[in-house]
Amino acid sequence: MILFVKLLKESAVFAWGSVVSNKLRTVLTLLGITIGIFAIISVFSVVDALERQIRNSIASLGDNVIYVQKWPWEFSADFAWWRYMNRPNPRPSEMEEILRRTQVIETAVFGASTSRTVEYLNRSIERVPIFAVSHDYDKIRVFEIDNGRYFSPTESAAGRNVAVIGSDVARNLFEGTDPVGRTIKFFGRNVEVIGVFAPEGEDMFGSNHDEMVLIPLGFMSSFIDVTGDRYGPMIMAQGRPNFSNDEVMDELRGVMRSIRRISPAAEDNFALNRTSLLTTQFDSLFAILKIAGWIIGGFSILVGGFGIANIMFVSVKERTTIIGIQKALGAKNYFILLQFLAEAVFLSLMGGAIGLLLVFGGTWIASQAFNMDLLIQMKNVMLGINVSVIIGLVAGFVPAYSAAMLNPVDAIRANT
Amino acid sequence: MIRATALYKAFDGKPVLKEVNTTFEKGKTNLIIGQSGSGKTVFMKCLVGLVEPDNGDVFYDDINFTRLSLRARGRVREKMGMLFQGSALFDSLTVEENVIFPLEMFNKTMTKKEKLDRAQFCLDRVNILNANHLYPAEISGGMKKRVAIARAIANNPEYLFCDEPNSGLDPQTAIVIDNLISEITKEFNMTTVINTHDMNSVMEIGDHVVFLYKGNLWWEGTSSEILTTGNKEVEEFVYASELMRKLKTG
Repeated sequence: MILFVKLLKESAVFAWGSVVSNKLRTVLTLLGITIGIFAIISVFSVVDALERQIRNSIASLGDNVIYVQKWPWEFSADFAWWRYMNRPNPRPSEMEEILRRTQVIETAVFGASTSRTVEYLNRSIERVPIFAVSHDYDKIRVFEIDNGRYFSPTESAAGRNVAVIGSDVARNLFEGTDPVGRTIKFFGRNVEVIGVFAPEGEDMFGSNHDEMVLIPLGFMSSFIDVTGDRYGPMIMAQGRPNFSNDEVMDELRGVMRSIRRISPAAEDNFALNRTSLLTTQFDSLFAILKIAGWIIGGFSILVGGFGIANIMFVSVKERTTIIGIQKALGAKNYFILLQFLAEAVFLSLMGGAIGLLLVFGGTWIASQAFNMDLLIQMKNVMLGINVSVIIGLVAGFVPAYSAAMLNPVDAIRANT
Repeated sequence: MIRATALYKAFDGKPVLKEVNTTFEKGKTNLIIGQSGSGKTVFMKCLVGLVEPDNGDVFYDDINFTRLSLRARGRVREKMGMLFQGSALFDSLTVEENVIFPLEMFNKTMTKKEKLDRAQFCLDRVNILNANHLYPAEISGGMKKRVAIARAIANNPEYLFCDEPNSGLDPQTAIVIDNLISEITKEFNMTTVINTHDMNSVMEIGDHVVFLYKGNLWWEGTSSEILTTGNKEVEEFVYASELMRKLKTG
């Protein structure tokens, strides 16, 4: 066994010697594997990063929240948009009815949004998203408040002119001073800042709280019709934990149809959107991206595999003598076969390792330069290693088999 | 004992061995000599089964080796030791591991300790002392050849084949190696066949010498007889060097 390990080591040493003495040949040979592994693992890492970001974004929207809206999130090629145009928008009273009529929904929130210039003293920020919500918004959306507090029930019910502002808004508007208790101005009204959201960072759907101003729905509805099309009114409904999303959907559909008195034969005049639909759409996109990664990398790996097979044939030729001597001294065919397979795998792993190092370097640069959350996951590293090993085995098999089948006669007169 | 009967081999229709008949006795050092291209190597390969003769047979004691199946040949081959030209040690293995190699490959019954003991015995026999853990690159050419002999006898072979055992050695070391092979042959009662060009070897250890000429067994006899054969081709070979010619003329 120890001898075998030593001879495997000899194969590795020989492979390394071959690498060192024929640098250009080896570089050209391993380039295919390197590029292939680089392509596949890069694509997978980017896709993973995107997927992670999207899933986090979706999770922040509430992955068990159903959005009752006029427009559906899913559009197909034959989308008949004109049929949706005349649908009524959700109304705050419908939200209250939903809560009254069903026990399946735990929390429901009405929301409407717009954007305005927000001012503080002589400073202002244009087009700040203003999101008006009913009181239970903090039960549906996940967020933290760094400084200050959320609306009190009285403030929500009375529609007080108070706001919780995003961290970016606070930084740009107040430049280091504490915003809590100060008065900002938008809609031509003075609004007291009662809290600042903790920074959340980039979000795939732009739904983070960093650049937003959150106000009670009652405040906005006191001077704006929040059910107007331009304010994107929506009801966010969250089912009770012991009900599945489908059950909640069914219940919500029934309740909404009853609230709107829709006849059994008529179509819904509202859309029930849920974040899992987005996930499904992205899943197919990611699957396509991954296939593209396999195809691009696959061709390089194929070329690399041929290169390794070629270098292994040279190796077998160069070591005909040693093979013959080993066989003449009793080495079995499988013993020779394993030695050369080990060498092929070693070479392939070397190419793969360089590819992985390039991916590490690339992700580090991308992370630094573009502030991307790129991480190489262990599963991708293992994938790269496994692909390299498999290519080494496949590419090395024929040369190794030819070595194993060599007649020891070639060694007898060899000049060793 | 190894016996070749009417061995014939041709490549591309050109005969390189023509009806060779001879017997290599047990306990004797048998030398195959002849000019380059005389068929020595093909003869040796036919003996060990690395080349199939077109006609004729090779017998190992009473076993007709040429008629055996591959598996059965393997069993006979386990009784053969081989000393390759230039030692052919494995560079990545230590001296001791080189000697153990054939034991590892052929012998499935010996324990690790028994293998180590056997290797030590063989190394002691060829006077390799305190070098077990050295690598081939760390020892001299003569020592390498001794280690190669130790490896060749590790499996306690009944037949020992040596291909140009003196190649690359200085004359003094060559004589030491020749004598070592001869001693071992007698000590272990092996049938030893040596393929060589070296007349010193012939004179030193040639119990039985076979001279091949253009594929024919031209002459055979002892080392003392070879100087006075009266055969033109043998004499041309034997007295090819100035030294031998001077010795002949006194």
